[in-house]
Amino acid sequence: MADTSPARTAFAEEALTHLDTLYRGALRLTRDPDLAQDLVQEAYLRALRYQHSYQAGTNMKAWLFAIMRNLFWDRFKGARKDDVSLDDVGDFVLYEKLRDDGAKPEADVLDRIAASEVVTAVEKLPPLHREVVLLVDVEGFSYKDAAQALGVPIGTVMSRLHRARQQLQRSLYDYAVESGIVRGSAQSAPQQ
Amino acid sequence: MNCPDCQDKLDRYLDRELTNTEALEIQLHLEGCPDCNDQYEFQAHLKRLVKHSCDCDAAPPAFREKLRQILT
Repeated sequence: MADTSPARTAFAEEALTHLDTLYRGALRLTRDPDLAQDLVQEAYLRALRYQHSYQAGTNMKAWLFAIMRNLFWDRFKGARKDDVSLDDVGDFVLYEKLRDDGAKPEADVLDRIAASEVVTAVEKLPPLHREVVLLVDVEGFSYKDAAQALGVPIGTVMSRLHRARQQLQRSLYDYAVESGIVRGSAQSAPQQ
Repeated sequence: MNCPDCQDKLDRYLDRELTNTEALEIQLHLEGCPDCNDQYEFQAHLKRLVKHSCDCDAAPPAFREKLRQILT
C-alpha cells in the first residue's frame, strides 16, 4: 500500500506543482495525449520511489523532467538509434529569405503563422533537439538547468538549441511559402 | 564588438545567459547596427511565438486529480 506519510505527501504536492511542465514536455515528445499521461504518471511514481535521491533546494522541475525524459527514451526510443542529429546548416532560412526579399520588418511575417503550425514545426524536430527547445524556449530553463535535466554539458545544450532554431526556421519558411504568406524564391530552401 | 562577435553571442543574449558586461556590449552593438538588430528582433519574436504556441497545454484536471490520489 502506498506510503501516506506527511513527508511523502508534502513531496508529492510540491512535485505536482510542476505537472503542467512535465505534461507539456511529455505531450510534445510523444505527440499523443494518452501516452503523455502514461509517461508522466510513471515518472511521478518513479520520482516518489527515488525521492531520497532528490537534493532539497535544487531544481525539482529539472529533476522531474530528467526522470520523465529518461523514461521516454527508455520506453519509446530504445537505444536511441532512430534519433538523428541536426547539422549546423549555417543559416536562418526564414529570416534570411525575408531579408533578401526586402520584407520589413521581417518579424511581421511571424504574426501570420498559426500557433498550430509552430507546434507542428517543433514536433518535427528530432527528439534530442525538440527537448532542448521545450526546456529553454517554452519552459524558460537556464542552460545550466537544461543541461542538468538532459544530462549533457552546457555546450551541447547550446549547439542543439542553435541547430533546432535553424531547423524551425526552415520548417516555418516551407510552411510560409506553401500557404502563400511569403513568395518562394525560384530556388527552394536548401535541404540537408 | 563586431557583427560576427555579435552573431556568435546572439543566442546567449536572447536567452539571458551572458554576463552583464557581455550583455551591455551586445546591447550597444545592436543600437548601432540595424542588420544585427533586425536579426535579434526576429529571433526574439520567434522565441516568444514558440513559447506562446507550445505552453497552452495544461495537464487535464481529471488527470491531475488522479495523480494526486495515487501519489498522496
